[in-house]
Parts: sequence; C-alpha cells; structure tokens
Amino acid sequence: MSTALSVVVDATLITLILALAAFGLAIIYGLVGVINMGHGAMLTLGAYLTWAATTAGLPFVISIFLAAAGVAVIGLLLEHIVIRSFYDRPFDTLLLTWGFFLVSTEVIKIVFGTDLRNVANPVPGAFDLGGIQIPAYRTMIAGCSLLLIAGSALVFFYTALGIKIRALIQNREMASLLGLDVSRMYKLVFVTGSFMAGLAGALISPMLSVDPYIGNIFLVRSFFVVIIGGIGHLLGGTLIGSFLIGGSETLFALFSGQVFAQTAVFAVAIVVLRFRPHGVLRSG
Amino acid sequence: MKKNNSGKIIQITRRSALKGMATTAGVAAVSLAAPGIIRRASAADPIKVGVISPLTGAWTVYGKAHSAGFELAVDEINAAGGVLGRKFEIILGDSKTEPRIVVEQANRLIRQERVDFLAGTFSSAERNAAGPVVTSANKILLYPTFYEGQEKEYYPGVCNKNMFMFGPEPTQQVWPHLEYMMNKFGKKFFMIGSDYAWPRVTNQVTKRRLLELGGEVVGEVYIPFNTPQYESVLRDIRASGANIIFHTLTGSDTVNFRLQYTAAGMKKDFVLWTVDDEEVVTSGLGPDVSAGDYVSFDYFMSIENPNNTAFLKRFRAKFGKDALMNTVGVAMYNAAHMAAMAIEKTGEVSTDALREGLKDIEFENGPQGKVRMRGLDHQMVLPSYLMRVRKGWTGVNDMFEEIQSFPSVEPLDARCQLPL
Repeated sequence: MSTALSVVVDATLITLILALAAFGLAIIYGLVGVINMGHGAMLTLGAYLTWAATTAGLPFVISIFLAAAGVAVIGLLLEHIVIRSFYDRPFDTLLLTWGFFLVSTEVIKIVFGTDLRNVANPVPGAFDLGGIQIPAYRTMIAGCSLLLIAGSALVFFYTALGIKIRALIQNREMASLLGLDVSRMYKLVFVTGSFMAGLAGALISPMLSVDPYIGNIFLVRSFFVVIIGGIGHLLGGTLIGSFLIGGSETLFALFSGQVFAQTAVFAVAIVVLRFRPHGVLRSG
Repeated sequence: MKKNNSGKIIQITRRSALKGMATTAGVAAVSLAAPGIIRRASAADPIKVGVISPLTGAWTVYGKAHSAGFELAVDEINAAGGVLGRKFEIILGDSKTEPRIVVEQANRLIRQERVDFLAGTFSSAERNAAGPVVTSANKILLYPTFYEGQEKEYYPGVCNKNMFMFGPEPTQQVWPHLEYMMNKFGKKFFMIGSDYAWPRVTNQVTKRRLLELGGEVVGEVYIPFNTPQYESVLRDIRASGANIIFHTLTGSDTVNFRLQYTAAGMKKDFVLWTVDDEEVVTSGLGPDVSAGDYVSFDYFMSIENPNNTAFLKRFRAKFGKDALMNTVGVAMYNAAHMAAMAIEKTGEVSTDALREGLKDIEFENGPQGKVRMRGLDHQMVLPSYLMRVRKGWTGVNDMFEEIQSFPSVEPLDARCQLPL
C-alpha cells in the first residue's frame, strides 16, 4: 500500500516538475512555432541569475522573480534583434536559437566560471504522509508548476488577450487583417515563454547542480513533452506529455533498472507518436 | 637558430620541412646546401608533452586542477634547468569530455605536433579511447585519474605497456576502508553509480572484498548521464534497508542526486560513502548537503605533511589563493616530475627509454607523501585516506576530517598478462 502511494506521489512530483521545465518551450514552440533550441540555455540562465541574486544576499523569493525577469529581458532582446524576422522560417529559428545556446553558454562560463555552484534549498526537510517521506521543496515547486500552468490556461481561454493569441495561431493573415498587431503579440508570447523558462530554471536551481549545462538535461525531454502532448495544447498537452516522458519512468523503474526505465520511456514516446503523429491531444 | 649538429637524417616530412624553412629563414643558404631540412632533436629543443584535459564539456569542473597540476610541475622542472639540458613544453589539447575528441586530439598531438609523450585524459572512457592510438603510434600515456583497475578484457584501455597509472584503483581507494565502515555502520551496501565502465568495475571489485568480509549488496543501480530526477531511486534505497550508500555517480549527476537525497530527509537514515567527490565537487555540493558523508582518496588538500604544505604554497602562488587542487591534479603533478626523472635516469627521450625509466621509480616530493610507480603493472603505490566531511565547513582547509589513513598501499596485482 505504502509502495503504491509513494509511486503515485513520485510520479506526480516528477510529472509536475518536468511540466514546469517544459512550459516555457510549450509556449514558445507551441504558440509561435519557434523551435527554441535555446530553451536549455534559458533554464540555465534562470538558475545562474538566482545563484547570483541569493549570493548577493537577496531573499529567495525575490531572487527567483529577478532571475525570471532577467531571462525575459534577454528573451526580449533575442526576439527583437533576431527572431522577429524569422517567424515564417521555423527551421532557421532552430539554428538561430542553437546559436543563442552556444553563445549564452560561453558567456556564462566567462562571467561565472565553470565551477559547480549551488543554491541553498530554501525549504529543507521532508514531511510525512501516511508513512512516506515527501521532500517539502519539491512539493512546493510542483504546486507552483500547477498554478502557473492553470493560470496561463485561464489567460489563454478566458481573457481578451487569450482570444487574440488564439486567433493569431489559427490564422495569422486574417488576424492581422482584422487589426491585430501581430508582431507585438508574437513578441509578447516569446517574452512570456522566456520568462517561464527563466522562472523554471530559478525554481529548479536548488535541486540541481548549477553548472553551464544544467538546463540541457531538460532540453530533449522538454521537446518530447511538447510534441507528445500536442503542439499548442498548453494545459493538458504539457501535463500529459510530462507524465508520459517523466512520471511513467517511475512506473517502469518499479520493474526494471533505471537505464531500462529511461529507455522504455522514449520507446513508448516513439510508439505514441507513430499512432498520434500530432500528439496525444491532436488528432489527424 | 637550429643547429644540425648531427649528420643523421631521422625523418623528413613536408610539414617539418615547411616549418624548418620558416624558422630557419635566416640560414637559408645552409638549408639549401643540405639535401633536406634535417629534423633532429638537438640539445636546445624542448621535450614536447601533449596534455589532454577536459577543458570544456560535462567535466570542465575537473579540467582546471587536471591541467594545472601538470603545468606547475613543468614550471618547476624548467626553473631547475629542464632535463638533459632541455626544457619541457606543454601542448594542450581539449578533450571536450568526449572520447571521440580524445582520439582526434591524441592523433593531432602525436602526428602534427610530434610530441614525445602524452599525459592526461580524464575519465575511463576517455582513456580507453586513447588506448588504441598510443598503442599504434607507440607513445607513452601518463594517466592521472582514480579508476577501476586493470582487467585484461579492457585492453588496450588498460593492461597496456604504453600506459602508466598515477591514480589509485579500488583495491587502494576502497578496500583498505571497508572493514572500518562495516564495523561502524553495518554490512548492507546499496551501490549507486553512473552508467559506464568506472562505476561498474569499481563496484565489481569492491564487491569481491565486501563479500569476503561478510557484507551484503542489497541494491545496485546505474543511472544514465544527465538524469534530473531521482524519486524512484530514492524509494528503492529506502526500501532496501541498506546501512551504507556506496556512491560512484559522476559530474553533475552527483550533485543532482545528493541535493535530492538531502531534500528527501534521508541523510539521517543512511551513511553515504563516495569514491568520486573530491574538493571540487564537494565545494559544489555545499556544506549542508555534504556534511557527514565519507570520502576516500589518495590525496586531499587538507592532509598535513611538509610536501603538501610546500606544494600548495607554490600552487596558490601560481593559480591564486582560491584555486582548487585534487587527487587528479596531484597525479598529473607527480606524472610530470616522474617522467622528468625517468628521462634524466635513462639519458634519452624515447618511448622505450621512458617506459624503462618509469618502472619502479620513486618520487620523494609527492604532495601526498613518497610515492612509487610499480614496474610490474605500471600502477602507483599510494597512500589511502578515509575522510568525513565536516559539519558547516567553510572551505577546503576545514572541509574534511581524517578518519583513518594508510601511508603506503600496494594495489592488488593488475589482472593482466604480467609483467607489462
């Protein structure tokens, strides 16, 4: 019984934390179609800025928002200088954002060095739930993840801004003919995605080693999440994708080694894509 | 100006000919008179050493101490006038932490730069990649890292007469401390490591002795590189009833695992013994996560002996007061000095002479104390320290507290066709 409960808890935590890490990509790739290979670098930047802010003595909560805002500013610059001319050429954005990753990683190495760093866990310890120990901080960021995704979905489905964004995705020409400022909407979406990636990197930083490649361990997984869940399905897609790519691993690991479990997850992902090429939530 | 003080033509290549022309433009007449540019290492030419370090990529954190150890030794050798009147010259190659790049770099250093021998590579995977290259080119490789020991089936990555191992292997790093750990904490081990050769073979060797001593392995998992989340592993560890977590994860996975292990509140229920986390990684972990964990190596910055004090003084003078040293950097330091001594002893710079010279050579000034290279299996005889990470440490000087140590540990004979 306690094993079953702990598997459920573990799967939930893994799913939500992966969803948090993938959410920025779900916005940028899912909504404006930029194949953002710099997503990992944005997570990394969020983690480093958090490290810098907490090391400077700022409280953790303020640090994460500063970090997210910093990454949003970097995203804004990237969009304004480069990406905005390439929205109709998705493949080129892949190369451009990969270039962004390379440059940003080297800059991080120059500014911060290559030493491993760490951000102190602001909520250490674990609490007891029916005999199983649950780490407090992970539970907290899983909660943040759920709030962020739900909040974004609310904006997306129930506000005027959300309607504009959806109109834009459905038919760009028509939306602009109807008076929508397309380039501003694209900019807004890209910057929001950058902000979310920065926030995710900031929130995850106390759980991982802060090094110049920290974000990249989530890069491939994030792409799988978005593609499996279905491009453009912000809420359900991200959660279902995260469960299939992250949470299901803990189920496989019940019966096999870690190496096999991780392999099995990606094998399942490929099988799913074979039968639902546009993701679980999109048919046809 | 190059002097051709010998009439022997050793080798002429287009590259060396072009290089020769460029550097001897001033004596073009002499060059023209000769049938070709004669390439001959004269007394003034440096002894070239190719150093392959992980300067970028996943193991960059280790790269600095790795190359710094060798550079410091070369400075000292050259300041003392070099060897046979010739200076050492380092040609650095970046492995990018990738075995594939190691092959490229080793080939470049040997064929283009024409180095006299190689030192470095970091992980076992990198060393194994360099194995075939140094075998076919017949060059010596001085390998610095603590590693899994030599088993015949992994030739030419080990059991190779062209390789010398300056770091400890499990019968030196782990075996001497097993009894203490088992008596103190219990006989049940849970082994967790990264999924490649070093952790797997290290665990295999550790198990042999553990079972002899009446211990038990209650779990053994290998984690793919770059795994972000560890819930299911932590659950397995909890359910296993282990006393000791025997830890061979590497790089950032080490940090990720241990941050999450600590956050899960498991530190109080288990003892963790790592054979991978030296000064650099422990600094990255921070005091809260690392406190109370056990670490074993041949060298720590905080060990107290006159050699180490003098060594660290010189190291800090060159690389700054906050620079980190570790077992691998010290092995690189020893490797450079011992190679210089071997060349001095045989009076010749060649692969055969270096190989013969390094056998059974002793180095009095090793930062960890007196060390010796065994001729039989090219394995170093080294000290072995078991340390516990202090609570609330503030830096490398108070990071580790000595639990027990052995001044000179002979490894088990390599499982190779001996002598090498």
